[in-house]
Amino acid sequence: MKKRLKLTDIAKGGDAPLTEINLDELTPLPPPYDKVEEQPEFKRLTEEQKERLVCNLDGVVSYAALPKPKNKEEEKKYVEQFVSGLKKLLSKENNWTFLQPLLLSLDYCARCQTCNEACPIYLASGKNELYRPTYRSEIFRRLVNKYARPGGKFKAKLNREDIELNWTTITRFYELSYRCNLCRRCAQICPLGVDNALIAREIRKLFSQELGWAPKELHEKGTVLQLEVGSPTGLRPNVAMDNLEFLDEEFSEALGIEIKTPWDKKGADVLLIHSAGDIISFPEGPISFSVLCNAAGINWTLSSEVGGYDGVNYGVFYDDFQLAKVATRHAQIAQELGVKKIVMGECGHQHKAFMTVADRILTGELNIPRESVMTFLEDIVFSGKIKFDPSKNNFPVTLHDPCNIVRNLGIVEPQRRILRYLCPQFREMTPHGIDNYCCGGGGGLSVMSDVNFTDWKAHVAGRLKLKQVIDAFADHPDPEVKKYLCAPCLNCKLQFRDIFDYYKVKERSGIIFGGLGELAVNAMVDIKKPLIKWEEE
Amino acid sequence: MAQMKLAGDTYEVDENGFMQETDRWTEDVARAYAARENVNELTDEHWTAVNYLRNYYLENGICPMIRRLIKETGFNLSKLYQLFPEGPAQSACKWAGVPKPTGCV
Repeated sequence: MKKRLKLTDIAKGGDAPLTEINLDELTPLPPPYDKVEEQPEFKRLTEEQKERLVCNLDGVVSYAALPKPKNKEEEKKYVEQFVSGLKKLLSKENNWTFLQPLLLSLDYCARCQTCNEACPIYLASGKNELYRPTYRSEIFRRLVNKYARPGGKFKAKLNREDIELNWTTITRFYELSYRCNLCRRCAQICPLGVDNALIAREIRKLFSQELGWAPKELHEKGTVLQLEVGSPTGLRPNVAMDNLEFLDEEFSEALGIEIKTPWDKKGADVLLIHSAGDIISFPEGPISFSVLCNAAGINWTLSSEVGGYDGVNYGVFYDDFQLAKVATRHAQIAQELGVKKIVMGECGHQHKAFMTVADRILTGELNIPRESVMTFLEDIVFSGKIKFDPSKNNFPVTLHDPCNIVRNLGIVEPQRRILRYLCPQFREMTPHGIDNYCCGGGGGLSVMSDVNFTDWKAHVAGRLKLKQVIDAFADHPDPEVKKYLCAPCLNCKLQFRDIFDYYKVKERSGIIFGGLGELAVNAMVDIKKPLIKWEEE
Repeated sequence: MAQMKLAGDTYEVDENGFMQETDRWTEDVARAYAARENVNELTDEHWTAVNYLRNYYLENGICPMIRRLIKETGFNLSKLYQLFPEGPAQSACKWAGVPKPTGCV
C-alpha cells in the first residue's frame, strides 16, 4: 500500500486495485481494541466476486451493480457520457445549484495540502495516498481542465498534467467519490475555503445524473422509494401510523405516563418531521419527542402524507433532481397542513438539505420557517414547564457532534446547555464542536452496505470516531460502569450501531448510544421508570 | 446479480445473500439458509418468528420493528439471537425470504 501513488495511476492497471486495506497499517485504536489480531476481520472479495464485479479501486465495493462494458463501443459511450457530464457541471444552465462554489473550489486550490491532515479517513487509513482529499480533487481538476475547458487537451499535454480518461479511470473515480463522508472538515481548515467534499459530491452527481450510476440504497431504494411510498425504509403511511400507535401504547406502559402522538393536525404551530428509520429502529427517539412536546404544551403534529413522516433527503448526497423533489414534497406537506413552522428531527443531513440547500429551491409560500430540533428542544427543556431531576442521569455521558448540524450550520451550544443541565457527568470528546470528527457514516455512507462496504466503514471511516469515544470515557474503562454516547442524528446512530457491533463496544466498554431527547425524558420527574437501559428486561 | 443455490434450486440474491424473488420462497429455502449458518434443525420457535416476519412483510411491504417482533413472538432479543445466529435482521429476515432491510434502519 505504501508505494507512492501518482495522480496518473488512476487510469492505469485495468482491473487491478490501486491499493488494499491492511489492518496493521491503519491508525492504532486504544485498548482494549488495540490488538490487530483481535480486531474483526476485513472481508475480502471472493474470486467469484472479483470476476463478476468492478473492484479496481481498493478491494472494496459499494455498488455491485456498476456495469461492465461489453465491448469497446460501450466503453467509449460511457467515457463520452462522463465528458458530457463534466461539461454540464461547469455550465450555468445545468448546474445553477452548485456552480459557483464548485468553480471556486476548482480554481483556488494552492496545493498546500493543509486539508489532508484534517481528513479523518486519510488519517485513519494510515495516510493512504488514495484517500488524500486532494488526490480525488486534483484528478477531477485536471479532467475538468482537459475535457471541459477550451484548449484543454493542448494545455494538458504542455503542462504534463495529462490524465487519461478511460473505463478504468471513470469506474475507479465513481467508487472514490464514495470514500468521502462529505464532512467538510477539509473545507473548514482550508485557508482559501476550497471544499473537497463539494467536489466529491459533484462527482457523484455527475455519475447519477449523466450515467445513472448511484448506490442502490441512495437512489432506487432511497429517494425513488421515498417519493413513491413515503420512505426509503419502505414504510407506508398506514404502517407508520400503526407503528406509532403501537409505540405510544408500549411506552405508556413502560414509562408509566400517558403518551399520545398527534397526526395530521391542521393549523398546528409545529410540524415535526422525524426520520422513519428512527420510528423503526430507535423508537425511543420519536417517543421522547411525543412525551416532551405534550408535556410542554406545544401545539404540534406529525404528518402521514407520503414523505411527510420521513425527513431524510438522500438527494443531498448525490443528485440535485432528487434533492429538489424531496425538499419540495416536505414543504408542500407543511403548507397544506398550514403549520407555522417545520421542526427537523434528530437527523443531520435533513438539516443540511432542508435548512440550507433548500433555501435556494423553495420560493414564495413554500419557504416555510424551518427550525433545528436542537434549539426547539432547548426551548422545551428551559421553558419551566417540565420538572427534571438530573440525578436520574447520573452516568457518564459524552456528545457526538453531527457534522451537518454543528460544522455546517454552527449549531453548537443548545445541545450542550441541555447536557450540562441534565447530565451531571457530561464530558466532551476531543476534538469536538465544529472540529469534531465525522462518525464515519456521513455523506450517505451509513445506509450503504453492499458487498463488503460495511467493513470499510467500520474499520476506516469510523476509526477515529471510535477512538474518540473510547478516549472520552478513559476514566471509566470498566464495562460495569454504564456510559451513554449521545448522538443526535439517525445516520450517526446507524454508523455507531455498525461500529459498536463490529468491536463489541457495549460488551467490552459498557457504552450504549442514543439521541438527545431520550436524556431529557429520562430525567423527567414524571416518568415512573427509566427510559434509558443498558440491559434488556 | 449474484446467485445462490438453496435446496437444489438457484435463486437471485443480493451481495449479502438475501433473496430477491420473495415469491419463490419455500420452507426448504428457509432450512437451506439455516444450514448455511450451522442451524441444522428448525424448531417451532424458529417457524413462529420466520412465519411472523414473512407474513408481516407480505402484508405491509416492510419488516416489522424489533419491538413488535418481540411482542408478537414472545421471544426477547437474546432469545432471538439464540435462535438466529446473526440476529433478527441479518438471519431471520434472510431465512424468511424477504429483502434485506434498507433505508436508515
